[in-house]
Order: sequence, then C-alpha cells, then structure tokens
Amino acid sequence: MGGSISKAMGKMFGYREMKILMLGLDNAGKTTILYKLKLNKIKTTAPTVGFNVETVSYRNVKFNMWDVGGQDRLRPLWRHYFPATTALIFVIDSQDTGRLNEAKEELYSIIGEKEMEEVVLLVLANKQDLKGSLTPQEISDFLQLKDHLDNQLWCVIGSNALTGQGLVEGLSWITNNTHK
Amino acid sequence: MKQFTIEIAKSDINATFKEPNDDMDGPVKPRRTLPSKSPSVPNLSQVFRATGPSNNLFKLKGQNLSQGHEQSGQNGLGLSYSSTNLSLIELYNDENGEEEGNESLSASLPEEVGINAKDVVPQQEVIPRQDAGLDDLSHYDRYGFKKQSNYINENEYDGWWKDYSQYCIRRKRKWQSLLEKSGFPMTTEAPDRFPPKSEKLKRYVRKGIPAEWRGNAWWHFARGQEKLNKNKGVYDKLLASLETKEYERRENSRDSDIIERDLNRTFPDNIHFRRRPNESAEPLMIQSLRRVLNTFSIYNPKIGYCQSLNFLAGLLLLFMDEERAFWMLVIITSRYLPGVHNVMLEGVNIDQGVLMLCIREYLPHFWHRIVNKQYSHNNQFLYKLPPLTLCTASWFMSCFVGIVPIETTLRIWDCLFYEESHVLFKISLSIMKLSEEELIHEHGPASKNMSQDDADIEVFQVIQTFPKKLLDPNSIFDRVILKRRISLNNLNQEEIDRCRKYVRAQRLKYKNYADVLGSNPKSNGERNALVELDVVNDALSSEVYGFRRSLTGLHWNNSIKEKVRQIRKK
Repeated sequence: MGGSISKAMGKMFGYREMKILMLGLDNAGKTTILYKLKLNKIKTTAPTVGFNVETVSYRNVKFNMWDVGGQDRLRPLWRHYFPATTALIFVIDSQDTGRLNEAKEELYSIIGEKEMEEVVLLVLANKQDLKGSLTPQEISDFLQLKDHLDNQLWCVIGSNALTGQGLVEGLSWITNNTHK
Repeated sequence: MKQFTIEIAKSDINATFKEPNDDMDGPVKPRRTLPSKSPSVPNLSQVFRATGPSNNLFKLKGQNLSQGHEQSGQNGLGLSYSSTNLSLIELYNDENGEEEGNESLSASLPEEVGINAKDVVPQQEVIPRQDAGLDDLSHYDRYGFKKQSNYINENEYDGWWKDYSQYCIRRKRKWQSLLEKSGFPMTTEAPDRFPPKSEKLKRYVRKGIPAEWRGNAWWHFARGQEKLNKNKGVYDKLLASLETKEYERRENSRDSDIIERDLNRTFPDNIHFRRRPNESAEPLMIQSLRRVLNTFSIYNPKIGYCQSLNFLAGLLLLFMDEERAFWMLVIITSRYLPGVHNVMLEGVNIDQGVLMLCIREYLPHFWHRIVNKQYSHNNQFLYKLPPLTLCTASWFMSCFVGIVPIETTLRIWDCLFYEESHVLFKISLSIMKLSEEELIHEHGPASKNMSQDDADIEVFQVIQTFPKKLLDPNSIFDRVILKRRISLNNLNQEEIDRCRKYVRAQRLKYKNYADVLGSNPKSNGERNALVELDVVNDALSSEVYGFRRSLTGLHWNNSIKEKVRQIRKK
C-alpha cells in the first residue's frame, strides 16, 4: 500500500523512477560512465565481473542504472534478470573500429530479445576525445538503425566519459522520450 | 627505468648470465615473442626486445622451478622463489632492518644452488626500485596497491594500518615461535615447510599468515608442489606452444584478444601492473600475467579465458613466480571452484544455489529481504536464482579480489587454501550478516509493502558497497569467523560438498522436467508455463535439503572447555 501511494504521488508531481540497463562490449567505458554520472569522478576501472548498480537522480527522475559486465560469455548469468527495463544504453568505443562489427552484432542480438521490445535505445558513441574516433553520425550510419528499427525510439549521442560530455544529454533524451 | 637497467648491468647479468648458454635461449623465445594481435599494444615485439635484459631477468625468475632441477648449479637458475617473492612485499617498517638483511636472504637459497647468493641479492631489489623513482610511494601499500579507493581515503588507511601493522608483527612472532616449537627452525626468511594441519594451525591461519610467507604458505597448503611434480615441464611446453602456428589458428586466439584487453585493466592502481606515463616498456607483471593467462587458456580449453581469472592470476603473481601462479590458478579453478569459470558457467549457478540455501538456513531475516515470499517455500530459487546472485556470483568468481580491500582479501585467501572452498561461503554469509546491520540502520527493517524491485535495489546498494569498506580484516574475522557461537560457523567443507551435489542434482532434474514437458517455459503461453512450473516445483520441492545442525549444548560445552583451559593456563 504505502509503496503504491508514494508512487501515485510521484506521478502527480512528475516524479519518476526508471530502470536503465547499460550494455556494450567489454572495455567500452560503461563503468566509467556510471561513476562519472554518479560521483562526478573518474575511477580507474577494472573489468566488471558481475555488475554495478547505482541510482542517479536527474531533474525529477531517479534512474536505477545497471552496468553489466562486459565479457560476452558471462552474459547468460544476467540476461534474464532485466524485464521491466525502460531504456537501454548501449555504449560503443568509437575508436575501436576493429570491433565495431562485433558491437553491432551484439546490439542487434540484445535488441532482438523479447524483453527489449519496448525499451528506448540510446547509443553512446563513447571515447570521442580519442584520436581517430568515429563521429556519432558515422557510428549511426554503421549501425544502420534507421533501416532496422521501425518501432523503437533510438538515438546516437557522442560522449566522453572523462569530461562527462554527452552523458546528461543522453539522460535527458531518455527522460523526454519515455512516458509512464 | 634507468635505475632498473643499471642494476641489472651491474650485477645480475654478470652474475647469472656470465656465459651465454644455448640452453637458455630456447625457453626465452616464447616469452619474448608471444603472439599478440591487439591493437592496444602495437609494437609488442619491439617492446619486448627493448626490455631485453629485464625480460631475461624475469625469465630467470620463472625459470627456476621448471628448469631448476636439470640446471641447478650450472648457471644459477635455481634462485629461490621465496627470496624473489620478498622483493615484492615491503615489509613492516620496523622489522625491516634486522629481518631482511642479506644474510637471511642468502640463507633462504636452496642448498643445491651453486652460486654465490650475494651476487643475487641486488636482484631482489630490482622490482620495487623500478617503480620507486617518480612516485611518492607513501600513497601505496606494501603490495603496491594505492591506499586510497572510492570508499577509503588515505588518512583512514594510515590510521588503520598503524594498528594493523603492529598486529601483523605480533602474529608473525607467534608464527615464528610456532614453527620453532614444531621443529621447523627459522633459518629462512620465508619458510617453505609448515607443521601438519591442526586446530591450532588453523587458528593461526585464520588470524593471518605473515605477508612475506604467503606465497610459500599458499603453495604448501594448496599442495601445489604435488601438482607441479606430476606436471614437470608442462608449463614450459605450454609457453613454447604459444608460439606455434597452430596456436595462432586456434579458436582461442579470441581468448588471447580478450586477455590482451584485460591486461592493462588488471590492478590499474597497483604500481607493479601499471605502465608509467613516460615509459614505453610494459611492466614485467603484465608480461607475466599475459603468459599465465594465455597458457592457462590452452591448458584448459573448457575454461579458456574468463574475466576474473585475470584478478586471480594477478594476485598470485604478486606472491609467487609465474609457474607456481599458473598451477595455483589450475588448482583454484578445479579444486576450489569447480566449473565456476567454465564456458557453461553451471558451476557459478550451483554455488549461488548453495549460497542461497545457506542464507535461508543461517540468515533468515536477510533471506526475506531478497526473496519473494512465494518463492521462499519451494525450491524454485535454486533454478531461478534471486537477483542478489548477480552480485554474489562475482565474489566467488574472483575469490573476493577487488570485492574487499586487499588485506582482507589476503586473509580470506589464507583460509581458502587451508580450509578449502567453504570459506568463501562463510565469508559471504558474514558479509551479509554484517551488512544487514547497515541495511537496518539505513533503511529500517524490511518493509512488507515494498515491491521486490525496490527492495532489491536497496539490498544491492548496500551489498555492493559494504564489502569495499571492509578495510580491517579483523572486523569480519573477529566478529564472525573466529566466533564459535555464531551458527554459520557450523558450516564446513563436508556440508558444502553435500550441498553442491544436491543443488547440481536439483538443477539437472529441473532441466530434465522442463525438457520432458516439452517446454522451455518461456516459449509456451505464459499461463501454461506457470502451471507446468508449479508441477515441477512441487515435485522438486519435496526433496528438501537438510543442514546438519549441531546441538546447542555442544557450544556450551566448548565454551566451558575453553574456560577450563584458560584457568589451567593461569
């Protein structure tokens, strides 16, 4: 009871809570993004075995962000834990052009899952500060989201986890494009 | 870097590589030209060449065990690992002078080594010096880890260390006298023989093995030498095979790509693993880590490379040479954590199922926080593991490396190698027990109205940050592990082994049922699946796991016994 009342109140005053899943190949920068958002600090991060969960508040929205470990073989462990996800943030290392194809395959395999049918998709073209990194437009073209995603809201934003560039823009895009 | 090469030029090369020896070139090669395609380390072969001497030096270190038997005495390859290990750990400041003198080091060399030990001594100092130059070492602990973390600042660390280092010194004296009393005279700085297992020794281990003995002690308690004796030369063969063409063609070259990406993310806060800003050379530790992980991935293709192995191998390398670290990795992944790192990951799920059973048994309040009421009656949680296991799975996979602060990790490892894997369950339960207090303190008792999702988030936040603040190992050991009266201390290896068998069987049966019912429960209509699940659950839940419970009277007796003993002592 108590919970549902506070939720209802939250709705009336525009307070929202959403579950956000952050995925991407290993070494894309997911954990760095999470802690930049949460603590505004740069953590030297080690590979995430398992996951990190943090709540990040932005405007009147509380984001429960799940940063899930990178190596693909570990994914079966966590895959089925994420129904009721509002948005998916897929992080791409824009400089690692050698693995773009792998990233693309991964993205489509995730977005193709039943649980992901209704999520909004934000692609962060991360590591924009690095030399030779592809622009968000180039990443977007490469991923061909326009051709493949008919029913889904999606957006590609360039980001730099070290400075925080693009991260808040990303969250506010998610806020503006989800209704609940 | 300068210091580093000068050091070698001055003594080591002259001392140990006086005559270029054909035998020596063979084994060097694979280590020097390990195939690597990663774009992140572009000129790897050049890097290796550039650090030629240091590479040789390191080879020397890794070499001594595998080749020592054939070559000892000829060219001094039999350098004692125990003394090499010393180089990595800065001892407690106050004992430094008297204990780490050259004499004790030379005494630690095995008898068959036909080289003047004094020549070797400067080498002991090479590794720490390599990094000592520019950095202010006061920011780093005795293993080279940064004292500060997201959850602990340096002042807190220093304040705690002031006391804990004294504790370590006291414990070391106790160990020394224990060894002497047991007929193992303290002739060496790092003994490699220990008394047979006993309640007393177990208590000593639980209170912490002296840091500079750890490499040897772990090796001893995990029966590493036994394993190595059965597999003499295997590690070198594996190293050699890394270079062959077949290796490059193998599927697991994918493993080596992933390893390559993880190398520089393994302990980025440790001076031994971190590349210095103005330095092109790759740290020796990273090179060793690459070799251990790559050889392991071909040695055990069922595992290959799984993230978290990098942490296990990395920590081992801080305490022992490469070959030993390799075999310890083999032992950990087979004896202590069977199947956990396998591609299929079933071992992880089994252990998490066991952990859930343990929580239900020993921490009922905590259990109700993490599991929906409807789940908790039947055994469904064994195959549909509660979300908390997302968090705890990594505790097991990495044996708490990176989960709790380093000194606490090491204390856990002491017990792990002495008491085997049930320690990991005990520690997990202890962490939950302690963090439950924090949960109640911060969020109040579990609320009935809260949705499971919200409750999960609450638990997650605490369970993921609480361990990171466990700076003082004694806060968990004294409060839980060393207390007899806490019921979870009834948990022993036998119980865990039985429990693992049970969970494995239950999960298998569930899978079979699901197959027989012709459904991957998801694909069918949801309601149908639910009905089927209920049938299956009922069937499986009838086989309940029973923990062995000790009689409460027994505790009472124990404590009386203890008191009588103490009175007698007086």
